[in-house]
Amino acid sequence: MLILGIETSCDETAAAIIEYKPLKKVLSFKIISNVIFSQIPIHIQYGGIIPEIAARAHIKNILPVIKKSLKNIDFKKIDLIAVTQGPGLITSLLVGLETAKALSYAWKKPLMGINHLQGHLAANFIEYESKNVFPAISLIVSGGHTELGLIKKSGHYQKIGQTRDDAAGECFDKIAKLLKVGYPGGPAISKMAEKINNKSNNIYFPRPMIKTNDFDFSFSGLKTAVLYFVKKNKNKLEKKKFIQNICAETQQAIIDVLIYKTIKASKKYRAKSVFLSGGVAANQELREQFKLQVCKLPNNIKFFVPSKNFCTDNAVMIAIAAGLKYKNLNKNQKSQLKNNWQKIKVDPNLEL
Amino acid sequence: MTIITQSEKQTLNLGKKIALELKGGEVIGFIGELGTGKTVFIKGLAQGLNIKNIITSPTFVLMKVYKTKGVIKQLCHVDAYRLNSSQDLIDIGIKDYLSKKTAVTVIEWANQVKNILPKNKILVKIKFGKKQNQRILEIIK
Repeated sequence: MLILGIETSCDETAAAIIEYKPLKKVLSFKIISNVIFSQIPIHIQYGGIIPEIAARAHIKNILPVIKKSLKNIDFKKIDLIAVTQGPGLITSLLVGLETAKALSYAWKKPLMGINHLQGHLAANFIEYESKNVFPAISLIVSGGHTELGLIKKSGHYQKIGQTRDDAAGECFDKIAKLLKVGYPGGPAISKMAEKINNKSNNIYFPRPMIKTNDFDFSFSGLKTAVLYFVKKNKNKLEKKKFIQNICAETQQAIIDVLIYKTIKASKKYRAKSVFLSGGVAANQELREQFKLQVCKLPNNIKFFVPSKNFCTDNAVMIAIAAGLKYKNLNKNQKSQLKNNWQKIKVDPNLEL
Repeated sequence: MTIITQSEKQTLNLGKKIALELKGGEVIGFIGELGTGKTVFIKGLAQGLNIKNIITSPTFVLMKVYKTKGVIKQLCHVDAYRLNSSQDLIDIGIKDYLSKKTAVTVIEWANQVKNILPKNKILVKIKFGKKQNQRILEIIK
C-alpha cells in the first residue's frame, strides 16, 4: 500500500510517500519520496520559532511540498493519508491537519492522525528490520520532549520516565542563547564542543537527577548551573576556548544523564534492544557514546538510532508510524478511517 | 509584598501557599531571568491546585493546559520566552483562558507580552539574591 505522510508540527513542512508491505514477521518499507522544507533559516534571526511566521510559511509551502512528494504518482493510487495530530505548536499543526482533511475528503481517501512522538519512535524502523527486538527501551529526545518508554511488543508503549522541567533540546537551546553561540542550540553547542579534543579544563556541571531511583530527568538545574558559572567568570567570556569548554561540558552533562538512565531502564526491564530517536538524537557525540555504552551491556542488546536526517522532523516517520498502526487495526476500524476527515482534531499536548 | 526564599523548596512552597488564595479567573505574570525559579514557583502553584501532572516547561509549545477539580478547573501555563509580541499568544488561543472564571493563567516572561495582561493582573517579580539559591520575590497585586 502507498501511504502519504504529512508533518507540520513545528518548523518543518514535510511530506513523504512510502510503500508498505505488511508482511507477518518482517516489516518492509520503501521510501518513494521524502520532501522537507525547513524553516530554520527563517527563524534564525529570532533565536527560536515564531508561531505566526511558522504558520504562514507552512501555508505557503504545504501544497508545493505535497505536490513534490507525489512526483508522478497519481493521487488515486494513494491508499492512506497520515498526518501529525500533535504534540506541537497548534498554529503549525493546524495547517498540516486541515490540508490532510481536505485531501482526504476531495480524494476520498482514509485518513489517520499520528502522534508526532510515535513518528520519532517509528523512525527506527525505516532502515532496520524489526525482528526479535522486544521488549525494547525507547528514549525520545527533542526540543519539546525527553521521554523514556518501555515497548513490550509491537503496538505497545508505556511511559516510564520523562523530564520534570525542560526537555534536553530545550536545555541546549537555552544554554546556547545564554552563551550567544547560535540557534538551533543543539548543533551550535556540539559544533563548539567539537573543537575541544582533550578535556583538560576544570569546568564541571552537575548531572541532574542521575542518582534518583526513577527514570525521570531534569535539565532546568543544569541551565541554572551554567548561568551561575557564566556570571562568575564574566571576564573570561571573550576567550573562545573558554566558551568551547563550557559547551563541551554542557553537552557531556546532558549525554551522561540520558545514557545512564536509559541503560538503567534497559537492565531493569531486560530489554533486547534500545531505540534512540528525536531531534537531539542527531547529535553525533550522543549517538557514538550511546552505542558504545549499549554495546558494553551483556546479552548482545541491539542499539537502534535512525540516520540523522530521520531524527529531525520528517514525514517518512509519520507514514511509517501509520503503517505500523494500520497493521494492528481490525476490518471495522480500517473502514472507519474514511470518516476521519470529519472528526480528527489537533491536540498540541497529545501524549504517547 | 516582598518575600525572600533560601532554596528551591521554599520557592515551591511559596507557590503552593499562594495557590490557596486563588479564586479563579486570575492572570499571574512572572518576570525574572533564566534560572530564577519561575517554573519552580508554578510547580508549587500547581501542587496547591491539586494538579497531579508533572508541570514541564511550555517553552516549546508556548502553552500547556492542566485540568483540576474544584472551583478552578484549569491551569493555563504560558511561556512568552521566545515571543516578540502578544499577537503570538492570541494566535495560539490564550484569550480562551484569560477571561475564564474557572481558569488560572500563569505567564512566564510576562514582560515580553505586557499589553495582553489584564488590569487586575498579579505580577510576580523574581530576582537572584546575594547567596546562591536565594531568591527575592516581589508580588504585586
